[in-house]
Amino acid sequence: MDKIARIDMGAAGGPKVTYEEVGEYAGLGGRALTSLFIAKEVHPLCHPLGAENKLIFAPGMLSGTTGSMTGRLSVGCKSPLTGTIKESNAGGQAAQVLARIGYAAVILEGKPKGDDLYKIIINKDGIKVETDNRLKLLDNYPLVEKLRTEYGDKVAYITIGSAGERQLLAASIACTDPELRPTRHCGRGGVGAVMGAKRVKAIILDDAGMKMRPAKDPEKFRDANRRFVEGLRKHPVTGEGLPAYGTNILTNVLNEAGGYPTYNFKTGVFPGGSKISGEAQAELEIKRGGTATHGCHRGCVIQCSGIYNDKDGHYITKQPEYETVWSHGGNCGIDDLDTIARLDFMDDNFGLDTIEMGATIGVAMDAGLAEFGDREAAIRLMEEVGKGTPLGRVLGCGAEITGKVFGVEKVPVVKGQAIPAYDPRPIQGIGVTYATTTMGADHTAGYAIATNILKVGGDVDPLKTEGQVELSRNLQIATAAIDSTGMCLFIAFAIMDQPETFQALLDMLGSFYGIEMTGDDVVALGKRVLSAERDFNARAGFTKQHDRLPRFFYTDPIEPHNQVFSVPDEELDQVFNW
Amino acid sequence: MEAPLIRLTLTLPSALMGEFFPILQQGFLVTAHVGCTLQRLLCRQWGISPDYVATRITTIFLDSRATDNVETAIVRDGSTIALSGAMPGLVGATMRRGGHLAAMRGAMTHQENPTEAVDRIGTVRVKLFNLLLPDLGPGFLKRGILMGCSDVIAFFQERGETFWESCDGGSINGTPVSPGLLQTTHPLCTGGSVRLTVNFR
Repeated sequence: MDKIARIDMGAAGGPKVTYEEVGEYAGLGGRALTSLFIAKEVHPLCHPLGAENKLIFAPGMLSGTTGSMTGRLSVGCKSPLTGTIKESNAGGQAAQVLARIGYAAVILEGKPKGDDLYKIIINKDGIKVETDNRLKLLDNYPLVEKLRTEYGDKVAYITIGSAGERQLLAASIACTDPELRPTRHCGRGGVGAVMGAKRVKAIILDDAGMKMRPAKDPEKFRDANRRFVEGLRKHPVTGEGLPAYGTNILTNVLNEAGGYPTYNFKTGVFPGGSKISGEAQAELEIKRGGTATHGCHRGCVIQCSGIYNDKDGHYITKQPEYETVWSHGGNCGIDDLDTIARLDFMDDNFGLDTIEMGATIGVAMDAGLAEFGDREAAIRLMEEVGKGTPLGRVLGCGAEITGKVFGVEKVPVVKGQAIPAYDPRPIQGIGVTYATTTMGADHTAGYAIATNILKVGGDVDPLKTEGQVELSRNLQIATAAIDSTGMCLFIAFAIMDQPETFQALLDMLGSFYGIEMTGDDVVALGKRVLSAERDFNARAGFTKQHDRLPRFFYTDPIEPHNQVFSVPDEELDQVFNW
Repeated sequence: MEAPLIRLTLTLPSALMGEFFPILQQGFLVTAHVGCTLQRLLCRQWGISPDYVATRITTIFLDSRATDNVETAIVRDGSTIALSGAMPGLVGATMRRGGHLAAMRGAMTHQENPTEAVDRIGTVRVKLFNLLLPDLGPGFLKRGILMGCSDVIAFFQERGETFWESCDGGSINGTPVSPGLLQTTHPLCTGGSVRLTVNFR
């Protein structure tokens, strides 16, 4: 990972590839690299789908090594959905392969004239950009199948479906999993639309002839990785709960807590919750010959995913995540796992963010386009998106646009991005993160729960309700740092509870790069990333007035706790004061 | 006149334990001595070891409110108790008993009501989630759970061939009944409530 490739898609005479040293970005990865780069090189007032925007792909700091859980790929740009800076990341094989080929980042710049569609082939010999108009308007599954006939199975694919090609604002970028299914998505913020604007349909990553990235101190790295894996395996969340039930283990608990947004955020309890819980999902997957335990990339020991088959045992989709089951399920009043699985497949196939699309269909239901709970209607609305009809293009541009077009008053978005599966009224702290994150409403922006062990900020009395702002700040700093390592965020549970596992992570980073890493270094990295992102957003025209939840969260109490969001604006404005 | 309580006992192979998970998640009623602390209910009445309560039941909701202290929270007649193992995610960590992110819950945290709790026999609704289903489910089913007749009928109607082929049959109010008769659900169509007891072999 000692070089950066720039591909000028708008160069005279056709796309042009140049290579450079990593320079000032040495030792950085993931979100740190994408955000610092975008903040420096992209004009904050540019049109996100124009030639001035750049799309950067960056593996994590430890991607391409033998280290476990190191497979997150970060994608950065100015978001067409939010207008803010954006980092969206995904699992799958892409980060590992790109890192092994030797790239710290691949950057798409410019915009080609004309209607040609391109694919990019990256291997040990360099980068080739080829026109391939046979791929036009193929969706992700048939697209990957077609590419496999040419490039085989020992590669990783990064692709966009028809939604990205149409530059829909909810479009995602897909990364293939170990079975070469396009199931892992950089989902949020419309990054797929930016790739579509660059007219790049697919990136083929071939690491043939390349080896694992070597550590500076191989023995120490191997030992640290062993301790890290042991820590993950012995922890009840990463060693038991997630492997058995996946992230959808949360449905029952959120529902019980009254924090499960239902019928487009009208109530906090979904009567059909237990029918679509992770427990029910796992049982069904196993009964149908699928699996409830599956890794999204090689080297994953948590294995929080699965395979969801139909009643005849045929593959429908990968195990839908909690947020997907919520968005297409309870949020739309749908209590049928088969319908949710089909919608998940359609999202993956067309190349769409599952959270944005479920929230959008919820808004569309509020607008009267369908009844809450109408399974077939939800599928029909998604089919409109896949066909690219005028209605489908509206829906494919997300909840905010759909709400405006159909005159819906209560649209759950912050900075244009749909609020995920945790209602901020009963869970006030997450509302602080939704309101203030640099990315638009995003539950993963404040997800790295290991703030105690990371020593981010001071201690907050857990039994007092004050301190939401401080907690959110600490969480966002910690998350920015973990996103930069390229590690899966789910490692946070083990490092929160087991100091020796956190030390193992620090030792992995330290022994790989030949440096001493401390918790303070991690915190400093997180702050640096957030500061750059905030600075970009400020230059893009975002002010503290944008760091607010939609008004109805302040005025409409939600059952069963009958709470509104009550953190004062003045406190929200203190989140980034450090 | 209120319909009499039907005492239904089933004997099944333990491999079919998962068939009862939907009931255990949705919630079931049990008779209990109420007016006591959660700790007393869990350990003394239900026989769950204090160590298991401390280390495995990491998230507890009492009437939809996250509960940190099982030694002070009082269970009242009609309470709903939801028990969960370790949860992922920010919200999972937030709901954890005594976790350092508990402040993020806001007013969702259970605060013990100072009004006096009456010490009596009552009923509580129990919900079991995730890792606790296979651990605690068999114990509750063996002691017996209370369900509406219509819920039991719906449960039986949703069971597949495997369930009925493996079922040894059971008894209703002490009288043996065959799986075939249970499958018709006729013996349960009298309405009222069922005390369902399941013995796993």
